[in-house]
Amino acid sequence: MTLETEVQSLRQVPMFRDVDPARLKLLAFTSERVQFAGGQRFFSQGDPSDAAYVILDGRANVLLNTASGDIQVAELGSNALVGEMGILSDTPRSATIMAAEPTTALRIDKRVFLELLAQFPQMSLAIMRELAKRLERTNAQLVAQSSS
Amino acid sequence: MEKSLFRYIWTHSKRDQLIVCAVVLASLPFYFMSLDLPRQIVNQAIQGEAFRDGNATAPFLHLSYEWPEWLGGGTLEIFEGFQVGRLGLLFGLSCLFLFFVVVNGAFKYWINVAKGILGERMLRRMRFDLFSMVLRFTPDALRTVKSSETATIIKDEVEPIGGFIGDAFITPIFLGMQAITALAFIMIQNVWLGLIALAVIAVQFTIIPRLRRELLRLGKQRQLESRQLAGRIAEVQDGIEVVHVHNAYNWERAEIGHRLFNLFSVRLKIYNRKFFVKSLNNFLAQLTPFFFYAIGGYFALRGTLDIGQLVAVIGAYRELPPPLKELIDWDQQRLDVQVKYDQVTQHFAEERLVPPYEAREAAEEEVPLTGTLVAEDIRVAGIHGDMIIEGGTFTVDLPASVALISNGGAAASMLARIIARRTSEFSGRLRIGERDLMQLPASVVGRRFAYAGVDPILFPGSIRDNLIYGLRSKPLGRIQEEKQEMDRRIAEAIRTGNPVESIADQWVDYERIGARDENDLDRILLDLLDRIGMGDTIYLFGLAGRINPERHTSLAERMVEARRRLRETFQSNGMADLVEPFDPERYNNQATIAENLLFGVPISDEFKGRNLAENAQFRSAIDRAGLTDDLVRMGLQIAETMTEIFEGLPPGHSLFEQFSFIGAEELSEFAAILRRHARGEGNLRREDRTRLLSLPLAYIEARHRLGLVDDRFMARIVEARGRVREVLARSASEGVEFYDPDRFCAAAPLRDNLLFGRVSYQVANARMRVAEAVATVVRELDLLEAIERIGLDYQVGAAGRLLSPQERASVNLVRCLVKRPDILVIDGAFAPFDEARGQQMLELLLELLDQQSLFMVLPNDRQAGSFDVQLRFRDGQIITEKTAVPAPRSTRPEPDAAQRVAGEVA
Repeated sequence: MTLETEVQSLRQVPMFRDVDPARLKLLAFTSERVQFAGGQRFFSQGDPSDAAYVILDGRANVLLNTASGDIQVAELGSNALVGEMGILSDTPRSATIMAAEPTTALRIDKRVFLELLAQFPQMSLAIMRELAKRLERTNAQLVAQSSS
Repeated sequence: MEKSLFRYIWTHSKRDQLIVCAVVLASLPFYFMSLDLPRQIVNQAIQGEAFRDGNATAPFLHLSYEWPEWLGGGTLEIFEGFQVGRLGLLFGLSCLFLFFVVVNGAFKYWINVAKGILGERMLRRMRFDLFSMVLRFTPDALRTVKSSETATIIKDEVEPIGGFIGDAFITPIFLGMQAITALAFIMIQNVWLGLIALAVIAVQFTIIPRLRRELLRLGKQRQLESRQLAGRIAEVQDGIEVVHVHNAYNWERAEIGHRLFNLFSVRLKIYNRKFFVKSLNNFLAQLTPFFFYAIGGYFALRGTLDIGQLVAVIGAYRELPPPLKELIDWDQQRLDVQVKYDQVTQHFAEERLVPPYEAREAAEEEVPLTGTLVAEDIRVAGIHGDMIIEGGTFTVDLPASVALISNGGAAASMLARIIARRTSEFSGRLRIGERDLMQLPASVVGRRFAYAGVDPILFPGSIRDNLIYGLRSKPLGRIQEEKQEMDRRIAEAIRTGNPVESIADQWVDYERIGARDENDLDRILLDLLDRIGMGDTIYLFGLAGRINPERHTSLAERMVEARRRLRETFQSNGMADLVEPFDPERYNNQATIAENLLFGVPISDEFKGRNLAENAQFRSAIDRAGLTDDLVRMGLQIAETMTEIFEGLPPGHSLFEQFSFIGAEELSEFAAILRRHARGEGNLRREDRTRLLSLPLAYIEARHRLGLVDDRFMARIVEARGRVREVLARSASEGVEFYDPDRFCAAAPLRDNLLFGRVSYQVANARMRVAEAVATVVRELDLLEAIERIGLDYQVGAAGRLLSPQERASVNLVRCLVKRPDILVIDGAFAPFDEARGQQMLELLLELLDQQSLFMVLPNDRQAGSFDVQLRFRDGQIITEKTAVPAPRSTRPEPDAAQRVAGEVA
């Protein structure tokens, strides 16, 4: 797998859909492709947020730490972006991400990511659009829940 | 500094000057003889005067002395001489002339060398005296005087003064005597000719110096402007940050350009005038022979002057201009040097200096500074004249920990500096017991006080050097020096007023700090660094350091042993995929192509970085392996990708440095190369190919993922390895140290030697996990201390530039702590640390200084509870408050056995 395939994967991520391909290439180049073994953690809940990950191949589970142990709340597959909220809002990780099987991911370093955002306003705009959409969706869900 | 240059010279070099003068005087008779011989040769031998009365032979070397009448008359026959014929006399006299020429030459040589040595000794003394004055600058002077100006004065401006010193007394005597002798000789031959020569000389002596006065003024101006130029350049470099922030490049360039222009104008004027004067001088010098030929020839024709005399006179006159010219030059130099000397002494004027440091080795040194600290009526004025402390009084029983709570005011900091003896700008009295604090000699202050301010000043050198800086007050042990060398060194030192101690002696007082020897000292330093929180950093510095396996044989062996153990650990922990080891038979995916080809560490610069592509031997090796074209092709692809990806980023962006193969400035050049290539393969020039070649050398497929390296290529690289090694082995120079799995590689840092491979870019969190494993093995094999010791060798750079602000502050604090001061004053040294760390360090200090006193300036009350006494400052008064219950000293947490070491390991 080369840079080209990574760029293709990044295009599939909703947050990066509207970003210029050249910028995506830069993003991919300045990121690292890493492999996780089955059961290895991407990061743990409460850790400082230092990177975001895009899953290129494999599956990962989202775990929340509660009084009764770790509960799996979601499963993520290819082209899923994880950990981006942490680096944008500079808060500790809200959940634990663990690879369910041997997984390959693209690790986007926080500092690099923020540098790129600062440098290319179009990227920031695309990301803000995505966040706005998420917010709308969440609002809609809340409305639906409260009315039901 | 002595006001008069001549008195300074005379005081310190009387003896040497007199010796050389004596030699000068001794050489004069020989000089006179060499003037007289031509006359004798021409008259007696060539013209045949000695043989006139029909003598077949004449005496040669007949030495006799006629007593003057008033001693009784008569002659003293010293030597009868040989009887020789005419030819014999000619040759004899000529050889005698040659002999005198040689003797004069020898005298001149000896005198010049002696003068030079004399000058150099005085120069050494002068430079040393000036440097001692630098150590005595008052705080006021330090604010106004530029360090670069001082440096250029001591280095450059005193150089001509030193050059003059040798000449100061001797030259006028030597040359003056020579000139007078020659003149007297001419006078003896013919009074008229002598008078003419005298007249022209008088003209020279009066006109030329007058013309040169102007040169002096210009010289002074030049000196000042030069000095200011040096000062300005240093200022700009020191404040380069501001220049960058405010984009003041053009202004600065214009400013320096203006200064250079001024300097140039002054120099131009100097040159014009100087050479005009020189040509005038030469003309006047050549004028006299004209008179001699004309008038002397007239006399010769008339018969009043014989040919021999004329020849000798002209010969003697030829001897006049050089000493005269040098005498005039000497006078010029004298005035010039006097001016320079004045300017130098002004820079070190008395009002800028503190009275000289008395090395009083009093018994006071042995008494610790405990007792009651009493401050009586302290008055301190602020910068604007307002009284910061007025009538301040307090009493504290030492040893104690005292908090000086500033609450935003300047009083606490001022008091801290006063107590630490950093300033004496106050009135009132401060005493400990009966001893006045201000009267303590500097040696006691250095030994028993320590002050850590906001600016942790470090000197270039290793961390260890900086840490023990406070322990080197005087040499204690003498090292074994070769006797002859030592005697010579000490004799020279005494002659020039320089210190006799050698810096190679043992200066560190091990006993005072409780160490037995060097190793023990290292242990103490490492312990303190660890407790202050720099332990991990030192460990990492150690891993990044290099050792010489010949000096540290056992450590090198243990490293190789640790290498094996680490490999085993990785295998057993299932971590084998985290590190790819260096295997001579296999391509290392995590290393660059260059590293794979060289399979070793470049030692000389021609094999490092971009230079490798230009290295002829390397190129020939890869040419022979048939790799050059493929590498150039890879270079093209990399260049294409880089230009595509990094387009749009402004130059100088940090991402360029971090990730790009090509620097921002070179992007356009590579774009041009790509365009040339697009037009046709043959369009690539040689330099283009070399530049393209340098790109893939830094390429790692696992990291850069451009899909350029496949298995076949890897096999060819491994094969080429052998060829490269062959080619390099044939050349004599040690350019590369090759990797050997069973041996220690001296050119590689310790961490590379331990790991002997590269951490995988592909496995997540590999770096951190590998670092942990390494740290574990290091602890198991008891290598931690050895590695940390190497870490102490880490160079801190100019002003500690290579360390972070926290590291600099930590080194400063440990420097203070290691000498176990009776009183430690901290005023802002905690500034680079955050609150939590600051609190930890405070607790450490309070624990370490249990039996001594700690004075610390705090911004507010928050941490004040941990101190025994609190001093607050209100309206210029000092209010003392004792803490009711001494704060419980928190127990130190046990060091974590398997401490995680963060940061880069491989």
